[in-house]
Amino acid sequence: MAQPFVKKDDDRDDEVEYSPFMGIEKGAVLQEARLFNDPQLDARRCSQVIMKLLYLLNQGETFTKTEATEVFFAVTKLFQSRDTGLRRMVYLMIKEISPSADEVIIVTSSLMKDMNSRTDMYRANAIRVLCQITDGTLLTQIERYLKQAIVDKNPVVSSAALVSGIHLLQSNPEIVKRWSNEVQEAVQSRAALVQFHALALLHQIRQNDRLAVSKLVTSLTKGSVRSPLAQCLLIRYTSQVIRESGVNTQTGDRPFFDYIEGCLRHKAEMVVFEAARAITGLSNVTARELTPAIAVLQLFLSSSKPVLRFSAVRTLNKVAMTHPMAVMNCNIDMESLISDQNRSIATLAITTLLKTGNESSVDRLMKQITNFMSDIADEFKIVVVEAIRSLCLKFPLKYRSLMNFLSNILREEGGFEYKKAIVDAIVILIRDIPDAKESGLLHLCEFIEDCEFTYLSTQILHFLGNEGPKTSDPSKYIRYIYNRVILENATVRACAVSTLAKFGEMVDSLKPRIFVLLRRCLFDNDDEVRDRATLYFNTLGGDGPFIETDETVKDFLFGSLGIPLANLETGLKNYIQDPSEEPFDLNSVPKEVKAQPLAEKKAPGRKPPTGLGTLPAGPTSAADAYERLLSSIPEFASFGKLFKSSVPVELTEETEYAVNVVKHIFDQLVVFQYNCTNTIPEQLLENVTVTVDASEAEEFSQVASKPLKFLPYDTPGQTFVAFEIPQGAPAVGKFSNILRFTVKEVDPSTGEAEDDGVEDEYQLEDFEVVAADYMLKVGVSNFRNAWESMGPNYERIDEYGLGPRESLAEAVNAVTELLGMQPCEGTEVVPSNSRSHTCLLSGVYIGNVKVLVRLSLGIDGAKEVAMKLAVRSEDENVSDAIHETVASG
Amino acid sequence: MLLAVLIANSEGNILVERFNGVPAEERLHWRSFLVKLGADNLKGVKNEELLVASHKSVYIVYTVLGDVSIFVVGKDEYDELALAEAIFVITSALKDVCGKPPTERLFLDKYGKICLCLDEIVWKGLLENTDKERIKRLVRLKPPTEF
Repeated sequence: MAQPFVKKDDDRDDEVEYSPFMGIEKGAVLQEARLFNDPQLDARRCSQVIMKLLYLLNQGETFTKTEATEVFFAVTKLFQSRDTGLRRMVYLMIKEISPSADEVIIVTSSLMKDMNSRTDMYRANAIRVLCQITDGTLLTQIERYLKQAIVDKNPVVSSAALVSGIHLLQSNPEIVKRWSNEVQEAVQSRAALVQFHALALLHQIRQNDRLAVSKLVTSLTKGSVRSPLAQCLLIRYTSQVIRESGVNTQTGDRPFFDYIEGCLRHKAEMVVFEAARAITGLSNVTARELTPAIAVLQLFLSSSKPVLRFSAVRTLNKVAMTHPMAVMNCNIDMESLISDQNRSIATLAITTLLKTGNESSVDRLMKQITNFMSDIADEFKIVVVEAIRSLCLKFPLKYRSLMNFLSNILREEGGFEYKKAIVDAIVILIRDIPDAKESGLLHLCEFIEDCEFTYLSTQILHFLGNEGPKTSDPSKYIRYIYNRVILENATVRACAVSTLAKFGEMVDSLKPRIFVLLRRCLFDNDDEVRDRATLYFNTLGGDGPFIETDETVKDFLFGSLGIPLANLETGLKNYIQDPSEEPFDLNSVPKEVKAQPLAEKKAPGRKPPTGLGTLPAGPTSAADAYERLLSSIPEFASFGKLFKSSVPVELTEETEYAVNVVKHIFDQLVVFQYNCTNTIPEQLLENVTVTVDASEAEEFSQVASKPLKFLPYDTPGQTFVAFEIPQGAPAVGKFSNILRFTVKEVDPSTGEAEDDGVEDEYQLEDFEVVAADYMLKVGVSNFRNAWESMGPNYERIDEYGLGPRESLAEAVNAVTELLGMQPCEGTEVVPSNSRSHTCLLSGVYIGNVKVLVRLSLGIDGAKEVAMKLAVRSEDENVSDAIHETVASG
Repeated sequence: MLLAVLIANSEGNILVERFNGVPAEERLHWRSFLVKLGADNLKGVKNEELLVASHKSVYIVYTVLGDVSIFVVGKDEYDELALAEAIFVITSALKDVCGKPPTERLFLDKYGKICLCLDEIVWKGLLENTDKERIKRLVRLKPPTEF
């Protein structure tokens, strides 16, 4: 592959013909290895045999237990040789062959001798080998030497001991933790690599001790860290300390921020990158903090090295998810990356642009992407499709061009995963953008006319059955559906029959024609298709007016199942595993949707997962799941339409029971959903409830609660408490909570719980219902138009003094958060050093009242902030309520 | 963790593969994935020009040197930048041992030395030595010069 770059040697032809390992065969090499037992060792030949053994191992060849033992014993004989080259090979060979526990003893004495040898390099290598093959008991014997080695004058010996420490920490943490004084000393070493390895080990030893990590960072950020690698580690640890300590509330400064910002000017690229990434990853990072980091990343976008371009665009892509406005300056540089040779870079550039672009640039971007799509692999295309889906949800007015794009690529060649991603995107757009429904459904219809994937055809047919009958002209879809009955395999035919029946059930005018079509399916050659056709034909009354069908049957056939499919699947699997005489009871399947935030909880304090191409789940799906869950609980089924569900609020720290609460707001009710997880394998909790003290929330009166019957280990469950609130002004207040339950011991070996339990309780943290809980974040794409069309009828304007603030940006954030509204047109970003700023907010208030807010803020020399708040809404009470919230906040 | 170092010849045959923390059943998959990645992208690439790819949270940096292609795979702290550092050390050590960008034959001739170099550079998934002069001495069991 790189022939042109190799000089043509005269002996080149020989090279091609002859390889030193040509015809190499395991048996022969093992035979050769017997030469290790010779009394007169030939070091050169021995080295060559080891080389062959290594070649075999590196080729994926394995040795049987006997072979490995034989080779190992033979190799140990080589310790007799004084040849250094051979000794080096012996060390490597022992590591590669990793002898079993009972064989290790053979070499320990030789290695321990080497570990105390005068030759430094023997010491270093012996340490590495010993640490790889050792177990706990041997380790205590050699611990003394290892501690000495950590502070050895020779940096190689020291590094060997330190890196061994890093590995041993996994298997023998209590021993390695005893070395922290020596490691601490090594951190101050003048040798760059020793410092790097020591810092890594010291941090691992102390990672659970926040104070110690903070001290470590404080001392090192002041001093000089020599190696760029160590500097990168330090930046990582520093940003961890920043994350845990938060912003200084008085000055608004972050500790150590100056240090990280200073690293942006470091001469090593890797340090600059690490610092830029640390800044972009800070929680609640401000525009002022982001600017210098984005600037260096922008420079790297035009680097000649692909690795640097990739790294820069990858980081910017991440920033764009949370701060699209901050990345906009880099758009021109990123557009030139669309044509980058490296497809990973090009895809990242595209998806970043899709996040940062504004409404006017969508069409231009789509044009560029169309050219790009033809020459990338499916996995990249999927990432692009997902980005386009998010873009369309962000700019609903642009649905036409985006939907066209999706339907075009749907027609082109592609594998199943790619096609599925496109279909999923179109389905989501149809659900969320009412205007896109008809065109979207037609695109899907066209697609199934020539679709090779049964799974997708059935998915689309099912979706058509739900959505098609509700459109203005349902009859136009019938042709596409019936074509499936004529042309497709049995699975798709059966599905098409069901879809036809749904049209017949929901659209009376189509019924007679559907009967004609269903009648033709009665003689299908597949059982399932025939059965379905017969069932639906009779249920819908195709045989005449005599048949009266029970409403519950129709509900069962055409309504939704009312049970989460995942739960049904688990229930059925359990039933099959443990079969009984009793028929399967559908009512025994729990209707509760599994708690969603569990995955986030598993990694506390860590960076959020940022896998390429994973997009955060849209808010709609979470809201849908909550709505389904609540309506499936009889006590709450009559509460009406769910207005808003908050994000989960944690009520416990890392303890035995993990509990968070989701606040569900209805018109005159709130429901608190407590998601509980039991993290103790030896316990089963029963009758779990939360007792809520609402004495600091006077307007709330408790109306219902739903206990959780069982809470086994590591299976999340929910308990609920509902409160009534007065209509009109939104009620706010603070709630304190106690978790009550009966705890039963579980035998871990059998998993069975004891019969008797003990009642117990557990104090949870307090939480509040605030004004923002009654506001949905709903943006408008053109604020001026929306403002003008809302009119000044219910406009309320007032002025407020916000007191001294760190900056205008902080004031804007505070008011936006207080109101819980969606900033529009990027006006939440305040240019640094500006003295005045206008921020536009939009939202939907409880009762489905649209609200628009214009915040005009000014800051004076003494950092006093004054604000003019103009509210327009569809209801004067709501305009007043917004002012009240600000006045009392 | 530096998950893998893999060196292949121009036909995609493996010359060296060292995995760390990769389950045995996934190795074959990685091997064929990397070889295909090389076959797709390394044609006409200059010696030591680094290419990069990522799959979910795993990064791959790869290049070509003489007749051999070199791949390093990492995750977490071993992101594309750290891998670029690692592959730089590997290529310079290789050039040092072979005296030039190696032909396949030359590579195999120096196989033992190369294994020792890799052992000094990456040990059980951690980058250990980064200076080629030092590595050159270490494989001969000579202490580093700066000491």
